[in-house]
Amino acid sequence: MSTLLAVVLDLAPAQWHAAAKASTSPLPLATFIQHLNAFLNAHIAANNDNIIAVFAALPGTSVMLYPAAEPHVPVPDANSYTPFKLLDSAIIHGIERELDVIADSDNEVPVALVGALSKALCYINRLTIAQPTAKNEHALDPHILVLSVSPDLSSSYIPIMNAIFSAQKLKVTIDVCKIYGPETVFLQQAAHLTGGSYIYLERRDALLQYLTMSFLSAPALRKTLSVPTQDKIDFRVACFCHKNIVDIGFVCSVCLSIFCQPVPVCSTCKTRFPMKILQRLNAARPLLPSANSNGAARNSSPAGGRTNGNGNATRTR
Amino acid sequence: MPTSVCTAKASYKKAPGLLELTDTHIQWTQDGKKAPVVRFTHSEASSLFCSKEGAAQCRLKIAKYGDENGYNFAFTSPQPTASAEREKFKQELTAIITKNRAALELTQQTSVPPPSIPVTAPISNAPTPRIPPSHPAVSRAQSVVSERVNERRATTPIIPGNDAANDFRLRKKVLVSDPELASLHRDLVMSGQITETEFWDGREHLLLAQAAFENQKKGKPGQLVDPRPETVEGGEIKIRITPQLVHDIFDEYPVVAKAYSDNVPNKLSEAEFWKRYFQSKLFNAHRASIRSSATQHVVKDDPIFDKYLEKDDDGLEPRRQPAGDVDLFVDLGATLEDHGETGNERDITMQPGRQRGALPLIRKFNEHSERLLNSALGEASAAKRRKIDKDTYAAIELDDLRDSESSAGITLEMQDRERYFEGRTAAGSNGVDHEHLDFKTLVHEAKQNLQNWETNLNQLKIERKPGDAALMAMTTNVATRLDVRSRKNDIPVGLFTQMTTCQTAANEFLRQFWLSMYPQPNDVQTVVVATPAQRAAKAEKMIGYLSKTKEKVDALVRTAQADGVDHNRVEVAMKPLLNAVDWALTFYHTRKGAR
Repeated sequence: MSTLLAVVLDLAPAQWHAAAKASTSPLPLATFIQHLNAFLNAHIAANNDNIIAVFAALPGTSVMLYPAAEPHVPVPDANSYTPFKLLDSAIIHGIERELDVIADSDNEVPVALVGALSKALCYINRLTIAQPTAKNEHALDPHILVLSVSPDLSSSYIPIMNAIFSAQKLKVTIDVCKIYGPETVFLQQAAHLTGGSYIYLERRDALLQYLTMSFLSAPALRKTLSVPTQDKIDFRVACFCHKNIVDIGFVCSVCLSIFCQPVPVCSTCKTRFPMKILQRLNAARPLLPSANSNGAARNSSPAGGRTNGNGNATRTR
Repeated sequence: MPTSVCTAKASYKKAPGLLELTDTHIQWTQDGKKAPVVRFTHSEASSLFCSKEGAAQCRLKIAKYGDENGYNFAFTSPQPTASAEREKFKQELTAIITKNRAALELTQQTSVPPPSIPVTAPISNAPTPRIPPSHPAVSRAQSVVSERVNERRATTPIIPGNDAANDFRLRKKVLVSDPELASLHRDLVMSGQITETEFWDGREHLLLAQAAFENQKKGKPGQLVDPRPETVEGGEIKIRITPQLVHDIFDEYPVVAKAYSDNVPNKLSEAEFWKRYFQSKLFNAHRASIRSSATQHVVKDDPIFDKYLEKDDDGLEPRRQPAGDVDLFVDLGATLEDHGETGNERDITMQPGRQRGALPLIRKFNEHSERLLNSALGEASAAKRRKIDKDTYAAIELDDLRDSESSAGITLEMQDRERYFEGRTAAGSNGVDHEHLDFKTLVHEAKQNLQNWETNLNQLKIERKPGDAALMAMTTNVATRLDVRSRKNDIPVGLFTQMTTCQTAANEFLRQFWLSMYPQPNDVQTVVVATPAQRAAKAEKMIGYLSKTKEKVDALVRTAQADGVDHNRVEVAMKPLLNAVDWALTFYHTRKGAR
């Protein structure tokens, strides 16, 4: 079974600098490139029909490294297998070229992970649409592998979620290999929602071991092969106002923002709630009996998952 | 106006008037008055009494549910018209009453006894066909039956809490349709742990939904009346005649009803009538498909039925002209004048009646549909139902010709979204010190790392130790998952049931507790509203039960140990429940302490 693997590389210079200096099992970029090339070569070697695409997320920009728009023709080398050489050199030269472009800027901006992810999805989409006419009759088994070192970028939450939904629609599995940096909730969600694996590297120096064991097999084979995946995902709800993890939250009926206490105006979408509902919800507030002492005695609506006009509260446990 | 099934001159309380049976009501209007004095729906009729054949006066008594005295009518037309008229009424009413009784039995099966018990009365010479109902007729009959039931209920909307008997009936229905809820009910209410009222407290919506479901008026079934002959040995065909079928046939083909009233019982007996009908051309003309042409040769000429035979309705114009104007958009003739005179070609694409043989069938279907709609909508005035806009310009303004106005939708303008997510990611990062580094140096460093990549790749080597560690970690990950999947169900059934019971019971206590803690909803239509004191008492009681949950779980764990089951697994399974119970206990004590 042939697979279409789109790899998204997170190339944040500062994060790689930190990764090389990490106290436990450091991983410099050079070693990463080494392991990555070995993994990609293994993938195209595994099946004649396997397709690979490599995307790079760089500070403020994203680019498709392979297949390159203007292919770099390497010097013929009798000691290496040409397809490997083509792939590897295209990636290295692509990265070098992009680093030259951004070398002049002064400030580091966050990497354009969403851009790279979207490009990968577009590429997959194009190949999938073209597929019926192509002579390759086998179903492509597309998956995306994100090799991430940067932390979550909060402003990209909605674009990332949109990318996840597109992936779900295209039936693309998103795998995430978190090489360095804190756990990213967004990518955890991406892997979980698309049925992929999220792996946090404990031993960075054994990157290739992780890559081959978890991500080399086609998603369709994973039912049989049992690849490792994350064992817990954070699904807890934090309120928008204080970022507390809440058991009972108050949800804006217009924009679904979550609050730990009833608010007169939704801070997200500026919807105003009627006073009466506020009083009723106040009476239902957990563990804060003094806030509205006479409210509880009044007969009004509880918060337990009942919709009531504008004020809507739900139990999130 | 509802269609009149039969009418006759009859006196009521010695006043002359007109007795009328319409398709929904039985009514009697005194001569010279407009509004009927007596009027009730079919579904109210409970029984029928007749005076003896040949008695001086031809009387008919109709009793209503809840009013056994009923109404005495005397047919005032000279004999033998009076007898014939009464026969007709008797026959129609018998069908109606049979249906009402069936409906009642249906309700009795599932509910408490109805408000009154019908008086069964011997009906003299009841011309009820004594043939057991066949299966297809049963399904149809039931749908009609439920329709009647609903009609009756629709008059009195049921609000849970108002009527104890009704409430009980609704509760029972809800429980019957939801086995899980029923088992919970059995465990908690029948064992006396919580009361019936408490159990339904907070579940009012189920009762409301059930009541709403019952009050929903079902329409007339849309099936065409098409008796299917069953072939029996010897090449004979057999059609089972049920009262329902008779009613349907009369309803669908009034001409048969006319033939019946003209000929039965004077010229033909009941059985003879049907036998001849099913062999007649009339029956074949009434069949719902053209496949009847295959059996054309077995049709006999019948001097009686052939009289009622109508000419095939296959003329270019339908025999029954539609009432009122035809909407210009569906009128094929509307553009006729545009052709010919103006030089346009005649419209040959849509001509009515090109296939002549199909016309009677199409018209029959149309009439049937119309009848069906009429029964659902009631006989509204043609103008009202049609909603034809007399304004021609408004009529030619088609929605499709308008520009589509794209709606922008409401964009989610989330303000300060960074604020929300940054808090969480910052909490996740384990204090990585962000030393400020010059970006240019960093990029340069990255580029340096790319040098000599080919040599690097050739020298790729993975240290054994980290490789093994990674392999072990991943294997453990996979193994844990497989382990969970492989040993799923080795808890003994008995223990498992106990665990489930404990879980559902505690859940119900929790539900009751929170219900009594939180303010009452005011959007549910209940009359019974617990007072604060009652609610506090209930919360107290529930807390009492809940504080025992820990003991129960401990007992389960001990049982598991005794049975040789891994007690940790029982503990893990019951942990969420204990958490929830602890939460409720803490809440209760905090709130109590604050008061």
